[in-house]
Amino acid sequence: METAPSLFSLYFPIVLMAVVAIGFVVTTMALTHAFGPKRPTKVKDDTFECGIEVKGNARSPFSVKYFLVAILFVLFDVEVIFMYPWAVNFRELGLFGLIEMFSFMGLMIVGLIYIIRRGALKWD
Amino acid sequence: MQLFHNITVNHYLVLSAVLFGLGAFGVLFRRNAIIMFMCIELMLNAVNLTLVAFSKMWNHTDGQVFVFFIMVVAAAEVAVGLAILMMLYRNLHTTDTNVLNKLKF
Amino acid sequence: MLSEYIFWFLSFVAVFSAAGMIFSKNPVYSVLSLIVTFFAVAGHYFLLGAQFLAAVHIIVYAGAIMVLFLYVIMMLNLNELEEEKKSLYTKALSFFAGGVLMLVLIAVVRRTEELQLIQPAVYNADLGLTQHLGKVLYKEFLVPFELASVLFLSAMVGAVYLSKKDLA
Repeated sequence: METAPSLFSLYFPIVLMAVVAIGFVVTTMALTHAFGPKRPTKVKDDTFECGIEVKGNARSPFSVKYFLVAILFVLFDVEVIFMYPWAVNFRELGLFGLIEMFSFMGLMIVGLIYIIRRGALKWD
Repeated sequence: MQLFHNITVNHYLVLSAVLFGLGAFGVLFRRNAIIMFMCIELMLNAVNLTLVAFSKMWNHTDGQVFVFFIMVVAAAEVAVGLAILMMLYRNLHTTDTNVLNKLKF
Repeated sequence: MLSEYIFWFLSFVAVFSAAGMIFSKNPVYSVLSLIVTFFAVAGHYFLLGAQFLAAVHIIVYAGAIMVLFLYVIMMLNLNELEEEKKSLYTKALSFFAGGVLMLVLIAVVRRTEELQLIQPAVYNADLGLTQHLGKVLYKEFLVPFELASVLFLSAMVGAVYLSKKDLA
């Protein structure tokens, strides 16, 4: 059974764009590696060629003050995803869809007010 | 039944069974709470893949809408779960589940 | 033809990077392999004609959730990871349990006879398009949609309450 009008023809423009983009990056990088002269020295291979001496590991724990902002971003990100299908069908859904989305957004705004009142967005 | 050339819905079921099994195995095998969390995400994704394959099979959108809601649940779960993990790390300085075996500390 | 090859390629990528996620010692590599798995799954969604879901999957999982995981790993000092002293016994048991689960699942779904009998439905090109999905979501799935906002609210309150320790 033929289920789809050939996948390749459907996505040909996207595939072409991806091939061109990746191909450009790969060929330029390969060419620079092939033609560029390489004379490595100890100083050149340092992490910072000039400046302070490198100490320890690059992956040391650091305090991400905006960690809570990142957590809340995930929630609001998924919430915005819900708005794409709604926006596309906005005219067709009419007033009903508007009320529907407003009651959804209402609870999200209650959450946002809670977050702000709790001072969760303050970094200090 | 064939979804597209030579690929039946059973192929997708086997693939998601393998992914789900890997996720379940990872939860049992690793003792690091973050990796276990990621394995749970993998299992959720395996189920999502099944739902999308079935949606294609029946030519019905419901399966894809379910995937939507599973994403919502995954996001909420990650937000609360990672907050719990951060609190545990602040208090106990570990994410090893061999240490985190008490509910009260 | 082409989609068959893409299926096999994406499946191998997904399975191998999922295995890499479990077995790599460094948690940062685990996160990166899981992102590769998610991209492969998104590719499968494309193959199955769920374009909108594929895009959403990349935005939510690779764009938000895995970045959050990376943040957590950066905050907790996990690179030296005095990894998990577990006995051979535990390892063998987890291998056994996971393997058996996987084998049973595969054996069950591999040749499901009922699935072979289903008549192919009429091909519907806009099955996975945003507009079609929105119509179903906002008409038939109204209650779950509204309940999702309650879930979001509780997740927000929970995350804020847990993270701000001076509030409790």
